[in-house]
Amino acid sequence: MAEVQQQDSGSGKGKHSKVRAKKASTHIDMTPMVDLAFLLLTFFILTTTLSKPRTMDITMPVKDDIKEEDRSKVPASQTLSILLTENDKIIWYMGVDNPETPPETNVADFSASGPNSVHKMLLEKNKIVLDLVKMVEDSVRAGLIPNKPEEIKQHKAAVKAAEKKGLIVLIKPDEKAKYRNLVDILDEMLVTNVARYAIVDLSESEKELILNAK
Amino acid sequence: MPKIKVPKKSPSLDMTPMVDLAFLLVTFFMLTTKFRPTEPVTVDQPSSVSEVPLPDKGVILLTVDAKGRVFFNIEGQQLRADILDRLATRFNLTFTDQEKKQFTLLTSIGMPSNKLKEYLNAESPEQKIMNEETKGIPIDSANNELTFWVNAARNAAPTNSIAINGDGDADIPTIKRVIEILQNNKANRFALITNLESSETAEE
Repeated sequence: MAEVQQQDSGSGKGKHSKVRAKKASTHIDMTPMVDLAFLLLTFFILTTTLSKPRTMDITMPVKDDIKEEDRSKVPASQTLSILLTENDKIIWYMGVDNPETPPETNVADFSASGPNSVHKMLLEKNKIVLDLVKMVEDSVRAGLIPNKPEEIKQHKAAVKAAEKKGLIVLIKPDEKAKYRNLVDILDEMLVTNVARYAIVDLSESEKELILNAK
Repeated sequence: MPKIKVPKKSPSLDMTPMVDLAFLLVTFFMLTTKFRPTEPVTVDQPSSVSEVPLPDKGVILLTVDAKGRVFFNIEGQQLRADILDRLATRFNLTFTDQEKKQFTLLTSIGMPSNKLKEYLNAESPEQKIMNEETKGIPIDSANNELTFWVNAARNAAPTNSIAINGDGDADIPTIKRVIEILQNNKANRFALITNLESSETAEE
């Protein structure tokens, strides 16, 4: 027992003399790890594509033989035909296409502003609808229209009714137009609140119109 | 004058918070990144202001590149196997299990039916060459194979939506023809894939 005690005390005293494992520092050099982390980070940042593709929904009419009397008649005063041709050129006219009395055509381009901007033209032609939409939006923002479902429904119906009086656009791309032009003009329809539009084939007389416009 | 002693600091910093941050970001990007297999064609979509995102799953994708070649793609291995089976009967072809497996693993296909077998048996570099040379899936009325593809896909996956991924320089007759084929298959609603436009035309 004494021996054990002695040994104990001996070991206690000999603390400094005994060879002990060197106390390693708790600090690790983390530089390589940081290097690696940032390397991975850079890789993932560069390979990630954050912009997801967007889509534009279109609905085409059911392709059946529609009888002539079932076709909905559109008033000529509301109808706007947009002919898309080569080199991003647009030819448009109001009214219906009639081989005997060719309509007066106008030339436009895809610029957002400018004398021949199709955007400006559409804004102008669809002014009734746009003004109403703007008015409704403004009064909602100003708090004039109470935020009640039935009130909003009523105003939505008013906008719908106005859209019926608004433009009807017939989009007619010719063979030399690019797909980009078609998407651009469909885009304009969205921007300028044209509710009723359709992609239609060119008629023979309209092909003449394009040739004559050059 | 007594010198002011600047306490000597150790040049090593505690980098633990930085490592924490770096790994946090690495984890974020790793989890959000989705690896897509490379498409055989590159398509430069036109831009639009539309903000509707393309759904991640359940899309029948028809790609039309700048030269007017049409490619077909759908996701899901089970579906692809099903579609290939349907096509095999249409085209009077028989596919081996190996070829079927290969088909389920590929992305967009733009081969006429007589080249399909050869394409599925080719090695990846040869497939690349074939993709460069192919005329795409035939769409002309004499040899309208795209309608079989669309029909098979519509039957195999009736709930899938259809999207046209067209290049901005694709010509109108091809696009119109594709739309017509879709209409003939009673698919009247579909989406055009676009890029989000920078706010250059934003007005008012």
